[in-house]
Amino acid sequence: MKHILFREHEVENIRELDVYVNNAGYAGLKKALGMTPDEVINTVKASGLRGRGGAGFPTGVKWSFIPKNEPVKYVAVNADESEPGTFKDRQIMENNPHQLIEGALICAYAIQAKAVYIYLRGEFWDLATQLDQCIEEARKAGYLGQNILGSTYSCEVYTHLGAGAYICGEESALLNSLEGKLGQPRVRPPFPAQKGGGLYGEPTVVNNVETLANVPFILYEGPEAFRAFGTEKSPGTKVFCVSGNVVKPGNYELPLGITFRELIYDHAGGIPDGRGIKGILPSGASGPIVPATDEVLDTPLTYEDMDKIGTVLGSASVIVLDDSIDIAWAASKMAKFFKHESCGKCTPCREGTYWIDKVLDRIITGDGAPSDVDLILNVAKNMQGVTLCALGDFAANPIIATIKHFPDEFKRYVDPALKQEKKAVAAPKRAGGAAQGRAGRGTEKTGLVPAGD
Amino acid sequence: MVKIYIDDREYDVPAGMNLVDAAKWHADNDIPVFCYHPKMEPVGMCRMCLVQQGAIEKDRATGEVVLDEHGQPKVRWMPKLQTACTQRVTDGMVIRTNTAEVDQARQNVIEFLLTSHPLDCPICDKGGECPLQNLTMEHGPGMSRMQFQDKQHLDKHVPLGDLIYLDEERCIQCARCVRFQDELVGDDVLAFHERGRRLQIITNSNPGFDTYFSGNTTDICPVGALTTADFRFGARPWELTEVPSIDPFDAAGSNISLSIRLDRDFGGKAMIKRVMPRQNESVNEIWISDKARFGHHFTRSENRAQSPMIRNANGQLMQTTWEEALKSVASILKAAGKDVAAIAGSQMSNEDLWALREVMSAVGSTRLGAWPITHAGADLVAQVGVGVGSNLGDLGKGDAVLIIASDLEEEVPIWRLRLKLAKERGVFLAVANARHTRMEDFATACLRYDYGMAAHFLSNLRAENPDLAQQLAQANNLIILTGAEGLSLDGSRALMQAAANFLIETGHVGKPNNGLLSTFPGPNGMGQYYMGFTPENTQDIMINPPKVLIVAQADLYHDDPSASQWVHEVETVINLTLFADETLSHEAHTILPIQSFAERDGTFTNGERRVQRFYTAQGPIADALPAWQVLSRLGEKLGRGKAKLSAATVMADIAKNVPAFAGVTYKEISNVKRQFPDVGGRDLYYGGTAYQNRGGLGVQLKTTAESGEAINTAPVELVNAPRSQAGQMLIVPTTVLYNRERTFLPSALMHPRVMMPYAEINSADAAKLGIKSGDVVEIVADTMRVRVKAHVNGGAPEGSIVLPRHLTTEAVPMTMTLGRVSKVD
Ligand SMILES: Cc1cc2nc3c(=O)[nH]c(=O)nc-3n(C[C@H](O)[C@H](O)[C@H](O)COP(=O)(O)O)c2cc1C
Ligand code: SF4
Ligand code: SF4
Ligand code: FES
Repeated sequence: MKHILFREHEVENIRELDVYVNNAGYAGLKKALGMTPDEVINTVKASGLRGRGGAGFPTGVKWSFIPKNEPVKYVAVNADESEPGTFKDRQIMENNPHQLIEGALICAYAIQAKAVYIYLRGEFWDLATQLDQCIEEARKAGYLGQNILGSTYSCEVYTHLGAGAYICGEESALLNSLEGKLGQPRVRPPFPAQKGGGLYGEPTVVNNVETLANVPFILYEGPEAFRAFGTEKSPGTKVFCVSGNVVKPGNYELPLGITFRELIYDHAGGIPDGRGIKGILPSGASGPIVPATDEVLDTPLTYEDMDKIGTVLGSASVIVLDDSIDIAWAASKMAKFFKHESCGKCTPCREGTYWIDKVLDRIITGDGAPSDVDLILNVAKNMQGVTLCALGDFAANPIIATIKHFPDEFKRYVDPALKQEKKAVAAPKRAGGAAQGRAGRGTEKTGLVPAGD
Repeated sequence: MVKIYIDDREYDVPAGMNLVDAAKWHADNDIPVFCYHPKMEPVGMCRMCLVQQGAIEKDRATGEVVLDEHGQPKVRWMPKLQTACTQRVTDGMVIRTNTAEVDQARQNVIEFLLTSHPLDCPICDKGGECPLQNLTMEHGPGMSRMQFQDKQHLDKHVPLGDLIYLDEERCIQCARCVRFQDELVGDDVLAFHERGRRLQIITNSNPGFDTYFSGNTTDICPVGALTTADFRFGARPWELTEVPSIDPFDAAGSNISLSIRLDRDFGGKAMIKRVMPRQNESVNEIWISDKARFGHHFTRSENRAQSPMIRNANGQLMQTTWEEALKSVASILKAAGKDVAAIAGSQMSNEDLWALREVMSAVGSTRLGAWPITHAGADLVAQVGVGVGSNLGDLGKGDAVLIIASDLEEEVPIWRLRLKLAKERGVFLAVANARHTRMEDFATACLRYDYGMAAHFLSNLRAENPDLAQQLAQANNLIILTGAEGLSLDGSRALMQAAANFLIETGHVGKPNNGLLSTFPGPNGMGQYYMGFTPENTQDIMINPPKVLIVAQADLYHDDPSASQWVHEVETVINLTLFADETLSHEAHTILPIQSFAERDGTFTNGERRVQRFYTAQGPIADALPAWQVLSRLGEKLGRGKAKLSAATVMADIAKNVPAFAGVTYKEISNVKRQFPDVGGRDLYYGGTAYQNRGGLGVQLKTTAESGEAINTAPVELVNAPRSQAGQMLIVPTTVLYNRERTFLPSALMHPRVMMPYAEINSADAAKLGIKSGDVVEIVADTMRVRVKAHVNGGAPEGSIVLPRHLTTEAVPMTMTLGRVSKVD
């Protein structure tokens, strides 16, 4: 298949400006500059492109929310890539950086933004340096800065490094962090696209790296070419980050609408040692787990079909759990992640993630009671739908979905009849052993390893 | 107005009002909140205020309300509960606060909060007035599903600076404290550190929590996480009785509440345990400065004068009875004929001052001096001060304020806070001074002139700063707020006249939110004027000292380096004082111990001419009496009729004799009305623990401009700044809030915050004189000689020394003078 994003597969050294330009690079931008901003927005709308950062919101529609009469507007590129199991934006920026810059500039032109900020997670410091070089080269070549390609439109592009927090991938926390403030989400409305809600209070589009990297293709080849991939409601290709118990973990750019089975067995090489699959996390830690039934395995990976099986496509970071994985352990891993990453701004998430982790610890060390499973399920439900940002819902998902689909995996730990046996075989080991006993301040009980490992 | 529906009842509320506020004010529906505060922007953090929200459906084409099959308006409900605090009311908004779902959501949030809360209410200062406690009783689950050993344990005594302690376990991360400092005060000294359940409040300033308003955070903290070093573990809220009072330190006249208890530490008498804000939306809203909150210790100073004393033939002060003392004073006054004068300080109440004036009338003297003699022009404030109904909180877009010759943060911190907020609402705020002051950080425009030239600057405004002049002249409402920094008393008068002229000429007098304000020291600068006491009279007294001088609540020697010279020429000094240790006591023939504002009742007239009442709170100190009572009894002995029996009857006399006070009664001063936001009621979670106003909102006296009389401008008598000769510099005394005045020094907890004596020197001057920052320098000016540390950090313009008053034990001049500076080796 021809790649829209991972063009390094077809064109060697596409990361270099001259190679990129010789292969239709910045042609989309050139074309856009010849159109009115509204025409650009309508083109993106027509392509049906949906946000690749998680929520799948139609990109063209998002751009059209930006008020026309405000003098100052911004684009923020979400390169925080912090969902567990997500590593697609990195590959795009590493191998095809100019396509991201071009896409961001087209977006900037469409909303008439003054500047683009690329917000990268702190660990991407090396990428940021590389992006800065690309930005410089593009500026020298006239693709950004003053009077882009001889037009009257001017726009600057900057990179900015975060300091290491999952929550800074959430768009309003990202904006706070970009402003130098504590990375905590903001109250909405006003939304980023509105006056008062964006960067420094100015209307701002926040888009994921992958989302924007699709845009040059849409402009240059036209929305219909884009729609040639994927489904009616989920057009285009998507990078699937496959990890977990598969033979060939990695990034796979494929048309939306392929099934889990195709993705896992045809592309990712199946499960090591021919083991069976127990469950699939389609969107890192934050999307609900689904059991690997035939129905699930044959479900097309689209926004709409994932909804039907009670989960989300999200960022499409597919984590495969084979039948050796202890689901209660996996739930505990995810609970620890969200406890560690909750920003603490709102009560249910701050307290709920802490509490769930405590009780889950008790359960998987064999000290739990049957009622403890009901307790965490109830606590997770109490977090759902009442938090300030979606992280609260994300944190509830792994608990609710694992207990729903794999109740026996928890029962083994708490049912007095099964417990003895379970404890003997499956008491998880602790790495380091430092976290034993009562948790003091900042003591993390990490390092749990899978049962039987 | 828009129509909204709360629990199926219809209400008309102003469009755009915050939903929590609207429900409370218009529907008497208390939506529980922790993080929301009516004075701050909503943040949606605690999630306690969840409600069911919908909107009445309207036909898109016709705009008609869509009806359901029962003929009722159709409501489109949102799928999830919404936080009420982040909503503004719109027409057709429908809210339910009483459904099972809402109840459950509230219970869940309480349960979540309590999982991390230590539940040590029995030893918590907030217990008894705690929003979390109250809301737990009202909405909580009643039992805990959290295992006790799962709770995290954190530091319970973290000092955030010298005044406020943080209990990390109790903090519920509502950010009220952080937002108060950041949004309202503009001293961004608190922050969150870390994230998740590890999120904690920290201070990022040095010294910690560096602001003049820190105590207010303890009022709005919805739990016992923030406590004051002054009060913590001092008493339980239910043991306290609240007595309305007035901040005795500055011209704002902040309304305060004295929390008292019969206390063994004070001989079983009623004792002030803490000072709290009392809501007066026109004066201080629900905020007070830390000086007002922590400065009450002087009322119980061990140096308080205990009994009347008379100097015997051997020159020794001997204790005596009131009767003997007053008889003796009466005979001294009679013997002196008319050669008597009085100097009264600005902590004297209106009633005290009137009674003193009566004594002076009895002996036929009109020599009534006001102390200290820094600010002139109170008469102009009486003429063209801000109109009745003024409220700095009402100023907004299109209005302007000019602050000139004042370091407002140090002089009247509450005005500084409220004007900072006014600026943010769109007021054009100009700050003019010879040096940088904190207020400039919040100003729209900053102007400079040379020290001594404030009046020149304002007189020539139209010619030399036409843009600024126009901005001010064209403002819908204009207030000019003056200080007296860098001026002589004559210079201060010139500035006041120039300000009055500008206001008169531009039509900004005789109406609310227009006119003249000044930072008169103490709480009753305007009262001094209305009762006939002026600084000009004092100047005259200093030049021509009388045979007998009555000094009332004026620390002459600590305020005036020349006191030793002119007081010597007085034959007999009668000293009405709080403190036995004043230097003046060595000179005084008679010492009459009087009561502080805390021990008796009375009224002060603040800078906005608001007559406000304070009530008897604390138990008396030995034989001390209210000054009005002492003086009224003295008046009786001098034939002025029967002594008055209450402060209220003295006020009746004032109302009869002082035209501006006509009709003023204690009853009227004590009137209250419902104020928005509704703070201090049963739901402490809404506004915090500031008290409801039960003592009275006061009466604002009419200006002459409002009484219909024609007000004319008058010539400004410009005085030139003293010209320095070779080697001389301008010594500019300034005010700092935290100082070593006798009325502040006894608050020992403030000592770490009182600066060591210092003076600001310009770097060019310092280089010439071979002075470096930190060097000890000696400053000599006619009668003054002080040693202070030099600060060379851009705080003083070239040629001048900025020398704060009341940091040194020796007095610093009250107004600008010339002097010499040298390094001490
Ligand atoms: C807790 C949380 C973490 C998120 N992390 C990321 C992220 O790392 N990268 C990203 O692109 N979007 C992330 N998002 C989604 C963003 O909030 C936002 O929806 C997205 O950047 C919008 O871009 P898109 O429309 O192009 O998808 C996160 C959302 C939440 C609630
Ligand atoms: S849901 Fe969690 S991450 Fe989001 S604002 Fe609340 S505490 Fe922060
Ligand atoms: S200390 Fe008090 S006011 Fe500050 S965040 Fe904690 S609970 Fe809120
Ligand atoms: S979230 Fe509304 S009061 Fe806290």
